[in-house]
Parts: sequence; C-alpha cells; structure tokens
Amino acid sequence: MIFEISKTGNPLFSRIHPLLAGVLRSTAEDPWEHYPEGSARLLPPPGEDEELINDWEDLVQPELRRHFDSERVVVAADLLGMKQGRGKNGLWSLEIPADHSEAWLTTLNALRLTLAGEHSFTDEELSHQNPPDLSTARGLALMQVNFYAFIQECLLRALEENE
Amino acid sequence: MGRPETLENPATSLSEALGQPWIVVVHNDPVNLMSYVCMVFRRVFGWSRERAQKHMMEVHTKGRSVVWSGGKEQAELFVQQLHGFLLLATMEKVSQ
Repeated sequence: MIFEISKTGNPLFSRIHPLLAGVLRSTAEDPWEHYPEGSARLLPPPGEDEELINDWEDLVQPELRRHFDSERVVVAADLLGMKQGRGKNGLWSLEIPADHSEAWLTTLNALRLTLAGEHSFTDEELSHQNPPDLSTARGLALMQVNFYAFIQECLLRALEENE
Repeated sequence: MGRPETLENPATSLSEALGQPWIVVVHNDPVNLMSYVCMVFRRVFGWSRERAQKHMMEVHTKGRSVVWSGGKEQAELFVQQLHGFLLLATMEKVSQ
C-alpha cells in the first residue's frame, strides 16, 4: 500500500491489497451494533459528580453519539468511492477529500478504541511488541487496530503538511 | 457607567466570576496516538505545537494533565469537545 497526497491535495492510498481493502471497509461498521461491550469506551463519564454524570447522559452523550454517527456516514460514503485496478492482483485505491480527514480520524479512533475495549488489549499488545496471531479473532482485531493506526498516522501527516 | 448591582453571595459570585472552581483533566489512554492527541489539543485549545506536545507528554508519562481551569460551563464545553475527539477527559471541582 502506498500513501501520498494527490494532485488535488487529498490523501490518497493506492495499491491496497484486497485483504486490506476489506479491513478498510470495516471502518464504516457501527461500533454500537458490532461491539456492544467495547463501544462503552466511546461515551465516558465527565467526572465523578453524580448530577453532572446524569446531565451528561441526558444531554451530552446523545449529541456525541449523533456526532460519531454523522462522521461515520461521511467515511462510509468515501469508502463507496474506492476503486479497484485492472491488474491481476486487483489492487484498490482510496482518495479521501482533505476536508473529510477529521471525520476519518474520529471514526478510525472510535473503532480502534472499541476493538481495544472489546478484546481488553494490554499495553504490551498495543505497543506492537509482538506480531498478532492472525489465526485468532483477538489477533485479527489487533491487526485491525494497528492498521487503522497506520491510516491515522498518514492522515495526521497530511494535515501537518497542509498547515 | 451604571451602579454596580448588590451581590447576594459575594464570595461565591466572585469565585464564579473569576472562573476558578473547575479544572479539565485529560487522562492517559494506550490506544490514542500521541500525534492524534497533539492535534486534538491544538484544535480544541488553539495551542502551539510545543505546548500541545508538552501536555501530551505529561498525559503519557504522568497519566494525566490539567489542560484548563475556569468556570463550570466552559469546562463542560471543553470536556464535550475532547470527548468528541474520543480523549478521556474529566472535569473536577477544585477544593477551596
């Protein structure tokens, strides 16, 4: 997979292997639907004050959830624009409009946090000490977390370069 | 200039007016990328890269960093914004 900035100034991922294209498509999954336990991390309490926590649950958390959902809709629409090359390997490419970068960063982060919460990854696992065991669901989820981190790093680098 | 209004509870009102009683704290999270946390600090607080990195490193090494202090309403707004970027942020009342 290659990352670069397109001629129009957008983050562009090309030569994406079909396997990774599938992982990328999973970015649009609804974390609340697919990972009921892990998704609890997405709406943390604002502190220990009981009144504040109640207000937060009533007023702020529904708004935050709407925000995450709308960011995910943006990402899902971009993913529909993925293009497959004609070569025998059928590699894919994805161009992300520069002004969608924050929606992508938020959505990728939400999914990484959700997966980490769902599988209770340790600090050691998350710090890439050992390669994930891809024969297990846990290993595959860790690979996803790491892959999405790579996409985030690329988008952050693009944002920095545009400043 | 109009006459100043009488304050019913001058101590509380002055404290609120000075915006002192609440702090916003960002807690460490092994999943969030360091570069992402820096970006969020710059977006939410309008900080320089250096200041954002200083607080990010404090979160990373000490487990938490106080990123703002002031009135309750503004603290709520900042925590909401930080939660919108999925950082682990809380607000705490400063003991008087």
